[in-house]
Amino acid sequence: MPKQEEENRILREWTPFLLRTILITAMIFLVVGLVLTYTFAPDYYVDRYHAVQQGHLIGKEKIGHGVLLGRIREGNPHAVLTLGLFVLTLVPLARVAFCFILFIRERDYTYVALTAYVLAGLIVGVLVGSVG
Amino acid sequence: MLEILINLLTLSVAAGFVGAISGLGGGVFIVPALVIFAHMPMKVAVGASLISVVATSAGASVAFVRDGWTNLKVAMVLECATVTGAVIGAYLAGVVPTVVLELLFAAMMLQSAYFTITKRGDDILTKGDPLAERLELAGEVPDLSGQPIHYEVVNVPQGGALMVVAGLMSGLLGIGSGALKVMAMDYIMHLPLKVSSATSNFMIGVTAGAGALVFLARGDVATTIAAPVAIGVTVGALSGSRVLPHLKVESLRIVFVIILVLIAAEMGWRALSGI
Repeated sequence: MPKQEEENRILREWTPFLLRTILITAMIFLVVGLVLTYTFAPDYYVDRYHAVQQGHLIGKEKIGHGVLLGRIREGNPHAVLTLGLFVLTLVPLARVAFCFILFIRERDYTYVALTAYVLAGLIVGVLVGSVG
Repeated sequence: MLEILINLLTLSVAAGFVGAISGLGGGVFIVPALVIFAHMPMKVAVGASLISVVATSAGASVAFVRDGWTNLKVAMVLECATVTGAVIGAYLAGVVPTVVLELLFAAMMLQSAYFTITKRGDDILTKGDPLAERLELAGEVPDLSGQPIHYEVVNVPQGGALMVVAGLMSGLLGIGSGALKVMAMDYIMHLPLKVSSATSNFMIGVTAGAGALVFLARGDVATTIAAPVAIGVTVGALSGSRVLPHLKVESLRIVFVIILVLIAAEMGWRALSGI
């Protein structure tokens, strides 16, 4: 099979699987997080909702990965919701990373360079956000 | 809490549904819905919308990629442009005054309305330009009888330039900029309309993802709002895409245009009156 056809076949088979798996995982975390919040911390949710509405929490939703994992182990509902959002943002990262690895394997260096640029752009996004 | 959740879910399911059947994406409708009906600050609405747009793009892309409508290589080439624009846009969203964001949003609504009115048929090329050939961007789509039709691609740099603008608007305003992306691919690069729509949908995930990462890292994504909105918009978008084949979308086009113009008027009024 020619190289381009083989690349397209792998991309068409694996990309939907990757997208669907991560999306479903994220949705499970978000639904479980909302159910936990509704069951154990409804007042906390309402207080935060009104604080967000008044603009008090803009720029204040930062949370370190270590702290997040610790809170998830404690069953903190808000941390489970945050994890769901983190997992959602993995969708594009994982998809581009998958293409990058595929193109390295296929030695398609033009597309290795293009996907590397997109990956770098996504990582720069995290850095730009972290510094303000 | 239940009342708040029901309100947020209703708004986001409706936004996702209308976004899917209009082909404009949920972001175009969820940002104004959160600002106007849930009284959220613009930046909160943009952050929540970016996250939900990532989800809807992933959900809607699955069938298009599997069935071969998405031109994956065109997407990867143009994502270089949209990611660049999106990171710059999301950075600027943190420093640009809300009034500017609202005015830009109004302008983008009018552009989407114009796009909805002027959608045109396919103009399939049989000869691509050298850059498109070097990047192997040509593809095939089935015709009405299921036979494959080969199409070529042209004007990659010009399409890429418009994609930088689409990315910029996405990062600034929390929308997928699908109308701009489809215009770039359909009008400038001459891809068939359905391929342009499917490819735009696919690219939106990475464009919005780049913006969402900036917002998340900056602490600008309000978990309380973004979580139910992401669920609602995804459910609405998936329901919309199921219903879409049974709807006469042509007859709804004027309704979409009216909604977009009303949103543009409301956001423009908010900006100018300082609400």
